[in-house]
Order: sequence, then C-alpha cells, then structure tokens
Amino acid sequence: MPQIITEQNLRNLIDLLVKEAKLVVGPKLSGSVVLYEPLTAGSDLTLDALPRRSSKELFFPICEDILSYKRENGSMKVTDVDRSQFPEAVLIGAPPCDAGSPAILDAVMSWDYKDEFYLERRRKSTIVGIACTKGDDACFCRAVGLAPDAEAGSDLFLTPLKDGSYACKAVTEKGEALVAAHRNLFAEGAGGDPVPFVDQGVGKLDLVKIKKWLEEHFEDPLWEKIADICVGCGACAFICPACHCFDINDEGSTDDGVRRKHWDACGFAKFTNHASGHNPRDVQNKRYRNRIMHKFKYYDGKFGKTLCTGCGRCIRACPVGIDIAEILETINSKQD
Amino acid sequence: MNAKANKNHVTSIEPAYYQAVTEAIRKEAVKILKDETVVGVVGYLPGRRQGTASPALVTTVEEAEKLIFSPACVNNLSVYLTKAKKGVLKQGKVGIVAKGCDMRALAGLMTESQLQREDLFIIGVVCPGVYGFGVERTGTLTEANIARKCRECTVHMPEGADVAAGTHTELADLTPEEAEEMARIEAMPQAERWAFWKEHFSRCIRCMACRQVCPFCYCEQCLCDKNRPQAVESSPRPAGNMAWHLVRAMHLAGRCGGCAECERVCPMDIPLNLLNRRMAKELKELYDFEAGLAPVDKGPLNQYKEDDDQSFIK
Ligand code: SF4
Ligand code: SF4
Ligand code: SF4
Ligand code: SF4
Ligand code: SF4
Ligand code: SF4
Repeated sequence: MPQIITEQNLRNLIDLLVKEAKLVVGPKLSGSVVLYEPLTAGSDLTLDALPRRSSKELFFPICEDILSYKRENGSMKVTDVDRSQFPEAVLIGAPPCDAGSPAILDAVMSWDYKDEFYLERRRKSTIVGIACTKGDDACFCRAVGLAPDAEAGSDLFLTPLKDGSYACKAVTEKGEALVAAHRNLFAEGAGGDPVPFVDQGVGKLDLVKIKKWLEEHFEDPLWEKIADICVGCGACAFICPACHCFDINDEGSTDDGVRRKHWDACGFAKFTNHASGHNPRDVQNKRYRNRIMHKFKYYDGKFGKTLCTGCGRCIRACPVGIDIAEILETINSKQD
Repeated sequence: MNAKANKNHVTSIEPAYYQAVTEAIRKEAVKILKDETVVGVVGYLPGRRQGTASPALVTTVEEAEKLIFSPACVNNLSVYLTKAKKGVLKQGKVGIVAKGCDMRALAGLMTESQLQREDLFIIGVVCPGVYGFGVERTGTLTEANIARKCRECTVHMPEGADVAAGTHTELADLTPEEAEEMARIEAMPQAERWAFWKEHFSRCIRCMACRQVCPFCYCEQCLCDKNRPQAVESSPRPAGNMAWHLVRAMHLAGRCGGCAECERVCPMDIPLNLLNRRMAKELKELYDFEAGLAPVDKGPLNQYKEDDDQSFIK
C-alpha cells in the first residue's frame, strides 16, 4: 500500500530517531555549505541544496582510526577499534546520486578483502532516499543509468509532492521496518502530483561503447589534452560519492600513536608511488586516465557497475573546469 | 603597452565588453602563433555549461581563434608555467593571457627565478572583474555576482604586459567585503579569532586544491606530503589541518600575489585569502613590501639585513 508522510512528520521522524539514540545523518547547513552531518533535530534538515560532499562519508569517513598502539614495558600493545560500538544510523534525504553510491561500493568493499569498517556501518544503516528536483546543468545521473527518481540504494524512497508532503515507498526490508516502527507518522494513500524533475544537459550515454573505446585507447592524445590543464588535486575524488581510495598512515610517535585510514585520490602526484621510488602513474595524464578508466572500464569489468552516479560534483568543483560529462560525451561520439 | 586609460564607473559590465577583450586576445594570439613568436598560448576556452570557461594551452591558429575572455575566466593561468605543474615553458617562448591580479604572480615568479621575462609574451587583460563562486552566470557582471577579490581590485590595468586587451571600465562603489571581514576578525579577542580559524580548518578535507592552484606552491616535495618523518599530519583532522594552514600561510608570506585562487577553489568555503591578506599586511608594515607589483631581486624574507625589524622576538 502506498504511503505518504507530511514534511512535519518527516521532521518528527528525525526527532524520534534521535531520541532512540540512532545516528541520524542528513543535509544540514554548516557555515556557508550544506553537508551531510548528524542531525540533532528534525529542524536541522535542509533539502534546498545538494550537499557539497557526498553521503559516502557515513560509511567511509574522511578519516578514521583503525587501531592504536602504545609501547609498554618494552613491548608494543596494539588495540583494535571496537566496531561493535558503531551506532545504528539512518541516512535521510539523500538524492539518488548519493543514495545509489553504497550499492556500487559494496562490491569493492566486500570483494577479496572485506573492509569491516565500511561493512559494519553498512549493516547498521538505513537509507532514506529522496527523488531529486533540484538538479543543474552539471547533473547527468540519467546518462549513467540512474535517474532523479531512481530507487537504487535506498531502503525507503521519498518523492516530493506539490503539496509539500512526500510519497513513500519501502524498497527493502530495512525500509519497511523503519515505516513499521513509526507507523503513526505515515498515512495511507498515493498522494498528489510529484514535483517535476529538472532537465539534464547530457543525453543518454552508451556506457558499453565508452567501455569498449577505453579498452582500445589506453594510449590516446585525449589523456594529454585533459592532463595539460589538470592541476592534480584531490577535489574531484574527495567529493565524489563513488571514489573510495584511501591511504593508511601511522600518526603519533614510535611509542604511542594511531593508525588512520583517510581519503586518497588518483589526482595526487604521489598516488601509487611505490616504496622503491618507482611510480607507474608518474605524470598527470596517466593519473587522469586512471580516473576515467577506473570509473568506466575497470570497475565495470570487475563488478559489472559504473563507478559514477552522475552527481556532477566533480564538474562543479574542479578548479580548472574539467568536465567528466563532456569527456564522456566526446568518447561516446567517437567513431573509432 | 597598456591601453589608454578610459576609466568608466558603471553598475554592470555587459557581455559586449568581454567580447571586445575576446577579439583582442584572439587577434594577438593568432598573430604570435603565426609569426612563431611563441610555441603556444595559455588562455581560456568556453566550458560546456553556460557561463563557464576553462584554461587551455593552444598551439594552433584554429584553437587560438576560439579563445575567450568572459567573467567565467577566473583561473590564474600562471600556475601552468611553474615546474611543479606543467613546465610548458621548456618547449620555447609561451604566450599567456593574464589579468592584473595574475600578472602579480608572474612578477613574483620572476622574482623567485622561476620564470624569465624574455620567455613570456604577456597578453594583459584590462579586467573589470570575474564571477564569484556559486553565483548566477548570465554574462553580465554586477555587484551581485562579482568575486570578492575584484571588489577591491587595484590592478584592473595590467602593468608590464606586452599588449593589453580591453579598455578600463569597472563597477562603481562596491562594498569591500574582504576588508570588512578582515577588520572584523582583527577586532576579535585572540581566543575568538583562534576559534574562528579552528572552526574553518576543521572542515578542511585536505584535497590540496588550494595548494595545487597556487602559482607559488611549486615545491616538488611539499612538507605536507612527507610521512617519514611526518612533519604535519596528512590525515584530515583538526590538529594537522591547523598545522598545514599555518605552514602554508607562513610559506606564502611575502610571496603570495593575492590572486585568491586558493580561496576560490576550496570546496569547503574556507576563506583562505583572509590569511593571505593578513600576511601581506604584515609584510607591508614590517618591510614596506608588496609582493608581485614588479619583479625584484630578492623578497624581504629571502634576505637578512642588520636593520631588519626584530621587535617580534620576545
Ligand atoms: S565522477 Fe563526478 S559526477 Fe561521477 S559520481 Fe563522482 S563526482 Fe559525481
Ligand atoms: S582511482 Fe581515482 S577514480 Fe578510482 S576510486 Fe580512486 S580516486 Fe576515485
Ligand atoms: S579536480 Fe580537476 S584539477 Fe583536481 S584532480 Fe580532479 S580533474 Fe584534476
Ligand atoms: S582582481 Fe582585478 S584583475 Fe583580478 S580578476 Fe578581479 S578585477 Fe580582474
Ligand atoms: S582547498 Fe580547502 S578543503 Fe582543500 S585542502 Fe585547501 S583548505 Fe582544505
Ligand atoms: S596563496 Fe592563494 S592568493 Fe596567494 S598566490 Fe597562492 S593561490 Fe593566489
């Protein structure tokens, strides 16, 4: 049976979840930027703007401790992080380009090595996705197989209606459980007209064709053309919902410190720098090529998924205006 | 050299002005490529999205005819001339499109022996201003969408270029937002000031965009990338972030040309140019020095003089 929830009840739901000691994360104004942050009350939630960073950090934090070490009486004592302490979490208000990201990342995080930090957070989380009505000309989720109303990755999916309420659809058991536990906040019924979606500037891309071109063009002048202007920062990767590279550093002294896992990016000059000093991706064009190859060829080859949700964040943030959608369109239109 | 000053104060800069600058840049770029004065020109090309542009290294006449100048031409292109980034210079003399604020970086890089004037052909832009971040990009520049740095620009007329594109025109009576913000912060008690920066730096994700776009961050080995031994925590945590930004502010003191690129590119909206401006103010007060107005032999922090002010040693 379809359900609807009013905006006020959505905020009440957040209040209740906070009372239940759940970690509730959603778009919130933080200084001049909107970020996914813990909500302390329903009134914290803002759905006016796409958060600057994606919601992947709920599962894959910018920086997390993975163990601590301390020398005691001549021997080193290592203490693991107790992952059972990770809180039950609800991610609320993520548009399809964010809600869809864990559905892509689960594959790599549970592959040959199981990343228990990521996976434990995933097990303990419920995602409330929301249909997106505020895209701009950097968005291209449709072109990579999602859509402003795609449910992929959401446990419960909300569609904004013109009267200000939301149509709700439980997509998974987690979503059903969330509704069941707060039944009085939801009303039965299909609701009114949905708020229309925004047109996107990029047409449908032929991802199979793009992958094929990439397979045959490991060497191509295109990479130099882009890399000529790429300044090699981590902005595009850090704000991307699908990028998941990390580095591990021991920080502290040789006697007392913490091992930390934190974001890394293929834009950086030291990405893949080997201990020997050799770096297989020693120049920028090889690194930018890696970005496109990883997203549209390697990941697809290994896991059958595209490592991009078309959120357009990298396009908006790139200091030099490198436009991944434009690059994909260029490849898509190539004849050989 | 510079076009004759034709100073107009207006309330909006229409696309026609930028179009005229565009034409002048194209004409010059085509000429110097044709007569082989340069091997390439660093300029701007339009982006796919409305009101966007991106840097480009053009080497042919056909490409040069597509160069543009618009309020979207925000980048300081001199970053492409430093060895850490590209080193396009090694191929020969290079042309570069430079706004007044970008010219300060060129002068600074000459001061630091990173560039030779004779290796450059500078197409100076008589620049009325560019867009700020996240604003309406309709083609017309107004008080509502102009960048913060441009509100207080003193270098609309580029000095020392080989040619200048455009005539002088600028928006009238803009509120100096940055100066006001700086005054507000300076008036804070120290603890409050510390809290202000702590809050901002806690948001830093260490994407290093601020470092990568800065023409003066050309070190091949940055202190912040070093992890054996580790000088500054490389993980994005408040303590390391604070250290990184203090180190950076100190390393840029007396060198930063004030292009505000670091601030523009920060995805976390950290007002980095306030730090730069503050350091510039110190240099002005202590050494009567302003970076990047013209190339000099040595900046004040690269040399020792017996009569240097030492009052800061306590
Ligand atoms: S690659 Fe860019 S557009 Fe694609 S998901 Fe990442 S940030 Fe978004
Ligand atoms: S290799 Fe690059 S594109 Fe791929 S996940 Fe890492 S940072 Fe993202
Ligand atoms: S954000 Fe832009 S400049 Fe930075 S690494 Fe990515 S593509 Fe290159
Ligand atoms: S600071 Fe001056 S020269 Fe630089 S972009 Fe603004 S108006 Fe142009
Ligand atoms: S650009 Fe901003 S977020 Fe990135 S490292 Fe610099 S200050 Fe931090
Ligand atoms: S520190 Fe910032 S304002 Fe100064 S030159 Fe570098 S990028 Fe420009």
